[in-house]
Amino acid sequence: MDIPGRRRFNVLSPELTGIMNTRTFLLRSAAVVAALTLAGCDRPEPAITSTPTISPGGADPLTIGVAFETLQTEYWVAGLDAIKASAHRRNVRVLESVADGDANRQLEQVKNFINRRVDGLIIVPKDGKTVIPMIKAANAAQIPVVLYNRPSDPTDAPHTVVAPDNFAITKATVEYLIGEARKTGRKVKALVLLGDLGDVNAMGRRDGFEAAVKEAGDAIEVVARVPTEWKQEKALAGVQSAFQANPDIGLIFTSSDFMFPSIKSVLSSQGKWKKVGEPGHVILGGFDGDATAYQLMKDGYVDATGVQDVFWESDQAVQVIAEVKDGKPAPARIEDKGFVITQANLKELESRMWGAQVANRK
Amino acid sequence: MNPTPVPLTFRLLQAATPLLFLMVVLVFGLLEPRFFSFSNLQGILLQSTATALVAVGMTFVLLVAGVDLSVGALMFVGAALAGKLILAGQPVALALAVMLAVGVVGGTVNALLVTRLRLIAFVATLGLLHVGRGLGLWITQTRAMNLPDSFLQLGSAQWLGLPLPLWLLSVVVLAAWTLLNRTPFGRHLYATGFSEEAARKAGLPTRRIIGLAYVLCGACAGLGGMVALAQLGAVSPSFGEYYEFEAITACVLGGISLFGGRGQVFPGPILGAVLVKSLFNGLVMIQADPYLFPVITGAVIFFAVGVDSLRARWLQRWNQRPIYLTDPV
Repeated sequence: MDIPGRRRFNVLSPELTGIMNTRTFLLRSAAVVAALTLAGCDRPEPAITSTPTISPGGADPLTIGVAFETLQTEYWVAGLDAIKASAHRRNVRVLESVADGDANRQLEQVKNFINRRVDGLIIVPKDGKTVIPMIKAANAAQIPVVLYNRPSDPTDAPHTVVAPDNFAITKATVEYLIGEARKTGRKVKALVLLGDLGDVNAMGRRDGFEAAVKEAGDAIEVVARVPTEWKQEKALAGVQSAFQANPDIGLIFTSSDFMFPSIKSVLSSQGKWKKVGEPGHVILGGFDGDATAYQLMKDGYVDATGVQDVFWESDQAVQVIAEVKDGKPAPARIEDKGFVITQANLKELESRMWGAQVANRK
Repeated sequence: MNPTPVPLTFRLLQAATPLLFLMVVLVFGLLEPRFFSFSNLQGILLQSTATALVAVGMTFVLLVAGVDLSVGALMFVGAALAGKLILAGQPVALALAVMLAVGVVGGTVNALLVTRLRLIAFVATLGLLHVGRGLGLWITQTRAMNLPDSFLQLGSAQWLGLPLPLWLLSVVVLAAWTLLNRTPFGRHLYATGFSEEAARKAGLPTRRIIGLAYVLCGACAGLGGMVALAQLGAVSPSFGEYYEFEAITACVLGGISLFGGRGQVFPGPILGAVLVKSLFNGLVMIQADPYLFPVITGAVIFFAVGVDSLRARWLQRWNQRPIYLTDPV
């Protein structure tokens, strides 16, 4: 049927079909290319970030490949910056990659580093299992591997782990909080925000918390253990729900400082957001030592937090690779003992708190 | 001819989510009587608001047999920009308007990719998810932004005794319900979702209808982001993560078919969102083992998806018979 005012096309005409197909193909190709290009914005491909020209001894400078699983927290950004700074001080070149949470992509990135014959690898793996083929590939190419902040599952493949002692740092932090609870002279109800149940770091912190609670006898009673999957929204819902069942919760420990805003939101809405020493103050503690925790400690709301020494860990990671290249044996594990920062020692220790440096840079 | 009565089996399948919800509430109420307290029930509703808003938008997209995986990323980009504006001393109203605008623009991009370039919705919106999260990280420089207390008060402020987020949800649900059930656009949307080819042959502007569904979904993501931001008072690098899955879960629990063309925006997805939050709330209140949380939530989702599949198969068989259904939707 002819429609007035419209040109009539034979839709089966080969010329027209050809034109339509080409146009559609070009448009679709352009869209896919644009999408992939843009999607790559948060996923930098390996790129040289510091390139010293002459090494102190006249030999070629070392090159290390740094493969991060993600940069989606302040901690990882601070860690990458600290590794680059340490490498720069040692005249070491850095190639970096971020896998955006994709273990397969990270394996490809690590293989890419191996093909470029880097002198060492520093890897933040997605998890303990998927990193094992990466370690084995590096071993086959005789390239030393350091796992930064996240250990692998048990494996015979030689590598070095530089990681915090989550258990000990958390235990020390919670012991301090329990000490504060004892000062109230009554049994205090406690809430703990757990991280991702599949994350070995989160489990270390949970075990540290439980060990401190067990030793505390009847000073505190844990009335809620909330799995947050490292999500602020789940932390918010969990704290709200726990306070519905137990409005008299007097102590909260969060397995990561970045969940403090969720705690603040609930306590504020209930009129319980009080400074240390004020009547009605809920004892607060955390882990990480990030910028939010630093600010809240400075403002007097948070009692204590366990701090990972990012600068020390980063320096150790680079140093291990340099030493292996000098013929020294690689240790299996280097443990960051960290430290507990409290209202009492904040001024003394804040220069070692990575969150303080991030906060002061803002 | 009198319409053939719908059998009990189908009615039970249709009522599966409300029955499940009732069961969850009863079990938790018996185990922890404070679960029934007014403040707890209001708390659960408030916790569900952001997810419910996003689920309302997702309903439009699922009804046209599409999907939008970018909603969480759009929430993040909007929150990142809003956070920057608020910390720079700009008015809160401007920040909120920007969040809504980001949602609408994101929805429009999805609409163009799906309807003009004919990209598969899954791929197009997955692309925007990556772009959005990258953009959000770039804007925030992967640093947390803690907003002033005045912004946090928005999340708990009340009007006529009802918290503002619940007012917003009520208005959005009413508008969405009216649009879907009382306008030609709504009927066209259902028809397009049920069979795009048939709707196109019937002369409906299917591309425009599908495109508008994505724009509405983006707008709802912007509104959901506003509520989430007002409740948290902070933008972390993981803001909005996995909201797409929470919204899809709420829709599926609420009887929105993943195959398009079937389901109602109320009470379905709202009930689905509240059910998921009730589960979490109840498990925290009864001090359940943390390992049980994902197991129980996963079991409920499996149950809902199973019911949806059974319902779809049953309806397909039933429709092959020369009889009428009184209420096929």
